[in-house]
Amino acid sequence: MSETKFEPKIIAFLCNWCTYAGADLAGTGRKQYQANVRIIKLPCTGGIDPLFLIKAFERGADGILVSGCHPGDCHYNSGNYHARRRWNVFRPLLEFCGINPDRIQFSWISAAEGGKWVETINSIVDTVRALGPFEGYHKLNTIGPEISGEAAAPSETG
Amino acid sequence: MIEELRKKAEELLKNGTVKVVFGYGEGSTPERTRPVFITKPEDVNKLTWNKYCVYNLTTYLKRQETRKLGKPALILKGCDARTIIVLLKECQIKREDVYIIGVTCDGVGDPLATKCEACDVHTPLIYDDLVGEKRENKEVPFEERYAELDEYEKLGEKEKWEFWQKQFEKCIKCYACSNICPLCFCDRCIVEKNQPQWIDPSAHPRGNLSWNVTRAYHLAGRCINCEECQRVCPVDIPLNLLNKKLAKEAEKSFNYRPGYNIDDELAMSTYKEDDDQDFFK
Amino acid sequence: MEKLLNKNNFDSLITGLKKQGYKTIAPRKDNRLVTLEEIQDANEISLDHVITNNSIKEYFLPKTEKILSYTIDKNKVEIEEPEGFAVKSVIFGSRPCDAFSLPVMDKVFNWDCVDKFWVERREAVTIVTISCDKCDSYCFCTSVGLAPDAKQGSDVLLTKISNDDYLVETVTEKGENLIKELESVFSDPPSDTPDRQVATVEKKFDISKIKPWLDENFEHDVWDDFSNKCIGCGACTFVCPTCHCFDIVDECTMTKGDRVKNWDGCQFKMFTMHTSGHNPRSTQGMRWRQRIMHKFKYYVEKFDSTLCVGCGRCSRVCPADMNISEMLEIIETEAGK
Repeated sequence: MSETKFEPKIIAFLCNWCTYAGADLAGTGRKQYQANVRIIKLPCTGGIDPLFLIKAFERGADGILVSGCHPGDCHYNSGNYHARRRWNVFRPLLEFCGINPDRIQFSWISAAEGGKWVETINSIVDTVRALGPFEGYHKLNTIGPEISGEAAAPSETG
Repeated sequence: MIEELRKKAEELLKNGTVKVVFGYGEGSTPERTRPVFITKPEDVNKLTWNKYCVYNLTTYLKRQETRKLGKPALILKGCDARTIIVLLKECQIKREDVYIIGVTCDGVGDPLATKCEACDVHTPLIYDDLVGEKRENKEVPFEERYAELDEYEKLGEKEKWEFWQKQFEKCIKCYACSNICPLCFCDRCIVEKNQPQWIDPSAHPRGNLSWNVTRAYHLAGRCINCEECQRVCPVDIPLNLLNKKLAKEAEKSFNYRPGYNIDDELAMSTYKEDDDQDFFK
Repeated sequence: MEKLLNKNNFDSLITGLKKQGYKTIAPRKDNRLVTLEEIQDANEISLDHVITNNSIKEYFLPKTEKILSYTIDKNKVEIEEPEGFAVKSVIFGSRPCDAFSLPVMDKVFNWDCVDKFWVERREAVTIVTISCDKCDSYCFCTSVGLAPDAKQGSDVLLTKISNDDYLVETVTEKGENLIKELESVFSDPPSDTPDRQVATVEKKFDISKIKPWLDENFEHDVWDDFSNKCIGCGACTFVCPTCHCFDIVDECTMTKGDRVKNWDGCQFKMFTMHTSGHNPRSTQGMRWRQRIMHKFKYYVEKFDSTLCVGCGRCSRVCPADMNISEMLEIIETEAGK
């Protein structure tokens, strides 16, 4: 049997008002991109607790994307600015603990930027594929269930 | 200095300014002190002051048992007094509800605690009374303050991971780190919430990683480097390295140091339009 | 049976144990701590410590352990019970206080329900204790009826009789068998009465005075007064060799999960919190009282044994320097009033 190619699991935490719509636009525009991303829609990047990211890794993510509105465009005026502050300290903290920062990426993608969504996803999938599966985290000894591999492959793209 | 402290405490209790004095008393061994709560003027002789007074007594401001003793006077070193500034900014206390007996300090612990090595608050920045000779608070350059981190920051990704896994593996989830922390004052900690269960309650490596990272992160831009978490850890995890790393990032990115200036906006509850976003795509 | 063990033979002892299929757990120094841990080599063994930072209990009641796992598939639930948790091992160099904690806790784990995890591990593990040749001011084993060379709970007891030699005394049949398995490592005991190098642990209080006072003083100012510096962490209960409270949680996804047993402690506010929000032990004073009452009254009534072996670990780690023997001295004084 031939060895199966590693397909990274990317969890994307998206703001409802911009990137989510941007991903939708990519879909309606019939743009092709790699099918490795699972989207979790939230009202605003400002509502993303860093624990979401930790949980995603625990549940088998190999890479994470956090994406919201461009500065100045927040539906709630300042949610993305607060989020940006958080990632400014959280990202180095994870790096300090030995987690490759390339596994967590951040972007601003508006509802009109279907093309940027496609580029961003393709780029993060390629980056994480090159890094390989996040075995360090997934193999952390737990007496809990072996969850890695449980998340089903997405049935549709964009 | 001890006499001066006792006299001050006696005076405050006698004239009714405060109901209780949070101070340091003799410990169970000569190398230890312990927190004491003096409510009667005749008990002030229990107060002491020496190089073993490492505790940050502001932690007792969050505890129901000590709060009900009435308005306190706290004996605070420069580092501890920084906590007061953060607590005031975070609306946990009112200035008129605490009386601060500041003490000037040349460092505590034997060997000297690492927090003291780059101390720039020998004289507290906030106090009602000062005991001890006033020292000049010399500024310590950025690099020197975070020098402790250098050897860990330069490790490779894998080495960092292995180092921290080895540390976190030891964690027994006793929560001494968060219970001693004067700034961990949530009535119900995230780890105690189980609907949903964000952090595994089990003390296995996965649960320990999420707990330790979250504890540290919740102190981002808030930790005043009293090192109490690290001192109390029964399994000797260098927790303060995480806190210090976050303090460094907060200072680098937001030019903010908690507990120095009461007029500064809290780092994590404000933002600037030109905050760094180089890492955003 | 009595034998002699020379320090130089530790090496062949550890190798011998390995050959016989034992996992060896011994005190090992790592930075500022000395902990009981699995070792591969006799060089790793620390001998100059007072007591290990972790207690022996984690080898019988681990800080976290899976008690079953399950999968849910539509209408079917499948349960799988863990196996292989009891590994044939020797704990070498534990202290007599730690060893004694095991028979004390046997009582509760064999009470109305037999805890198979505890019992099977107890059967699989042989305890080789080394008598204390030094102590510190936190030690108070002599006050709770033990001694730095007490035999209860050990299978084999080693006592230093010179710089290099240990007197080996077997206490149980299991211990005797172990010595027989490794006979070549030991030599014959000295013919004259050896000079046992055992620490002198000061007696701090009279245990017989404690329970009668506790019987009468559920309500007393001393509980609040002593515990007002307590920060409500669980360090004392987690390092204690006899504290055995645990919590059971499910760590699961929609389709499968594990039921896990974790250490818990009576000093946590959440320990007795009801769903309604009511907390019967609402103050730290009440929680502290529970700790003392459980150890020196309830357990005595139920199992005729004190739930404290005088190791002093709780006092050593306490972030606020609460000292349990000091508390008991206060009780003794109160009782004398």
